[in-house]
Amino acid sequence: MKQEESTILKKLGKDSGFKTPENYFDDFNERMTAMLPDVEITDVNVKPSTWVRVRPYAYLAAMFAGIWCMMKVFNGINGTTSGQMRVNEIAEGIHMEGNADEFMMMGAASDYDVMSYQDSVAQSMDEPLPDVNNP
Amino acid sequence: MSSREKYDEQQVVEQLHDPATCRTAFSKVIEHYSSSLYWQIRRMVIDHDDANDVLQNTFLKAWTSIDNFRGDARLSTWLYKIAINESITFINKKKVMAQVSLDDDDSFLVNSLESDRWFDGDQAQAKLQRAIAALPQKQRLVFNMRYYDEMKYEDMSEILGTSVGALKASYHHAIKKIETFFNEHD
Repeated sequence: MKQEESTILKKLGKDSGFKTPENYFDDFNERMTAMLPDVEITDVNVKPSTWVRVRPYAYLAAMFAGIWCMMKVFNGINGTTSGQMRVNEIAEGIHMEGNADEFMMMGAASDYDVMSYQDSVAQSMDEPLPDVNNP
Repeated sequence: MSSREKYDEQQVVEQLHDPATCRTAFSKVIEHYSSSLYWQIRRMVIDHDDANDVLQNTFLKAWTSIDNFRGDARLSTWLYKIAINESITFINKKKVMAQVSLDDDDSFLVNSLESDRWFDGDQAQAKLQRAIAALPQKQRLVFNMRYYDEMKYEDMSEILGTSVGALKASYHHAIKKIETFFNEHD
């Protein structure tokens, strides 16, 4: 630090020339303490209640439950729509050509596929099909 | 509290957050820090009565926001920050009242220094105060903290939120400006 100081500052020393009234600091504490208003202090030593401790985890669980419910709802909506569309497409194919039979004759379809196919055909027979030649 | 009683900062901080002991603990804080904060403020605002007002505001602000102090920083750092902010706010208000531009330096504060009853320095000391008051505000702070309080740059860095390198440069510039002031006002 000494190296930083100039010769002028060395000559002047550290006395700023300021002074305070006599016993200023002796009285200050008492005067200042008397001026302090009442404030509300949060006691950090008080143990938080069970709910306060569990609350963040409860909120987290509720958030995940909400996300799960939303996924269920959206999947339900999308699943129904796409399932119905597939059935319609298959039924349309049967009405137009016999390519489904050809596919099955080649042995590429399992028993389950055949049964699903038959169910979907039976279901689609109840509904009128759109006329694909005159849209 | 007796000034001879040992001041344990960690214990005092714990007591400050207990409603049963907070008032007594804050009294210890006042006892411990009033002098160092007063001199820091006094060198900024120059006048004793002004320094007394700013010091009171500093402790009042600290007391009313003590719940926000969680001990992440040192208590002294927190108090110094409040004191410096209060001093700067006070000086800016005084500038407005004296119709001095906020961009001007704080020289107007030392205009009546020699007639101040709480200043008993000689002409050279008064001249030094004029030279310091002519410095930009941040350089004044840095100079006062380093030259009079002999504060470490690391501590100053925490209080002022400035890098140690920048503080060293600031102190160096302050000394050069004071020397120039003395040479120009011989």
